[in-house]
Amino acid sequence: MIWKEKYKIGVPLIDAQHEELFARVTNFVETLRSDKEWDEKVNSVNDTLGFMKDYVVTHFRDEEAYQEEIGYPGLEEHRKTHQDMVSYVGSISEQYEQNGFKEITMQQFAGKLVTWLVNHVVADDQKIADYANQEGK
Amino acid sequence: MKADLLTPFTNAACQTFKLLLDVDALAEAAQGVDGESDQSNRVHVAIGITGDLTGEVLYRFPADTTLEIVKTMSGMEFSEIDEFVTSALGEIANIISGNAVTDLSQMEIVCDILPPEILGDGTQARSNETTYAFTARVNTSIGDIEVLLQLQS
Repeated sequence: MIWKEKYKIGVPLIDAQHEELFARVTNFVETLRSDKEWDEKVNSVNDTLGFMKDYVVTHFRDEEAYQEEIGYPGLEEHRKTHQDMVSYVGSISEQYEQNGFKEITMQQFAGKLVTWLVNHVVADDQKIADYANQEGK
Repeated sequence: MKADLLTPFTNAACQTFKLLLDVDALAEAAQGVDGESDQSNRVHVAIGITGDLTGEVLYRFPADTTLEIVKTMSGMEFSEIDEFVTSALGEIANIISGNAVTDLSQMEIVCDILPPEILGDGTQARSNETTYAFTARVNTSIGDIEVLLQLQS
């Protein structure tokens, strides 16, 4: 995934976390999409998946704290969007473990994740920036 | 006019292309469905609609356009339509439809959408109970998307 300057929302902590999140998702996806056979790469895929999942939780928590700090009126809706994604990641991870780490599950997960993340940063998170700018925060 | 119900979907498609892909898109006017066009070499994503409207919206993406969309978002090359690609495309259709449904709610038409379903190549309209069907093209520099709205009365 390519990080773009236009994705920045103007809050240094959140922008740095978004950039790190893009880097971790990229690392996961590049490992997943490498030419190696599944048996050769499954452990690396699982490691990068773990790094990425941990960071998602940290980032969502910090982003919600920032929204609370500035009195963002869309906080509850935004929090629900985060919760829905965390819940989806939890259920797909469970399915992945139960089906014996099948590649198809991760390919489907990663395709959705990339699209969701780009949309979340350019659409949902930009609304936080718009509010902060409008209120002079 | 029922054909107007397609406009939130084509508008949302244009906005999503611009926002996610930096691609300008222009929607043609909606028209009735008159026979079936050639649907080979396309990826079809169906999203069910429930609530004040019942039916489904079907997005038809050319294969080349599909690969270009996923390449633009991921920064990686894709040469075939695989599970990663169809899942990414399903999420695009989900985002477009979610935004369209939000738009419809401002017209006091309250609907929900169902999870995206990827249909096989060459898929034709499949609803037997369709009363109204409208279609429109969304023209972009990376290919034209067809949006088909099928509703029951």
